Amino acid sequence: MRYLALIYGEEERWDALSAQEQQAEMEDYVALSNEAASVGGAELQPVATATTVRTRGHETQITDGPFADTKEVLGGFYVFECDSIDAACALAARIPAARHGAVEVRPVAGEEAA
Amino acid sequence: MRYAALLFNTSDDWERWRGLTPEEAAAARAEEVPKWEALFGFVGPRWTAGYELGDPATAKVVRVRGGETQITDGPYAETKEVLGGLALLDCEHLDEAIEIATRVPLVERGAVELRPIVEH
Repeated sequence: MRYLALIYGEEERWDALSAQEQQAEMEDYVALSNEAASVGGAELQPVATATTVRTRGHETQITDGPFADTKEVLGGFYVFECDSIDAACALAARIPAARHGAVEVRPVAGEEAA
Repeated sequence: MRYAALLFNTSDDWERWRGLTPEEAAAARAEEVPKWEALFGFVGPRWTAGYELGDPATAKVVRVRGGETQITDGPYAETKEVLGGLALLDCEHLDEAIEIATRVPLVERGAVELRPIVEH
């Protein structure tokens, strides 16, 4: 089964880290990417680069900025191939952002354990 | 440029889905399929990955504090709009991604947030 690990954290925190601390965290992210169970994912650019699209009736509404204005924001995700959500959570706990933000683990639709 | 398209639907949609019998859910899903097929036909290979997420009620939230792993049930945020899926788009520019976003079936009730991806 595949699970998405949605990574939430504060963007300002990263900028406040020293180059050495950033390097150490990046190594943790890369190590997770290199796990066999890690089958996809992406790092998103800051929310300042976001564009949100809605259509209501026949009108398209395009706004700059993220859909929801929150302190902790979605910064990226991993896709884990695991036998159970517990195994996916164990991998999620190794994501550096779990130590200061939070990681939401969600099954991909139709692949939940019976 | 690659973009992540964050597909938001509403908590009302999830409520409605939960109230359906398996047969009703299958029928409702069958009704949605042609809309998504039309989208995929338009987008073609620019849609490089897509993930439809399961019910947010099945989510778990993982935090590590002081070396201890804390796992709680439920989504990270209880909000009216809920992340229902995520796609990766390979587009020449933002306008192209916006055009695709306007054709995503749930954009009529929810929203699509486009975020450029960091290329490593």
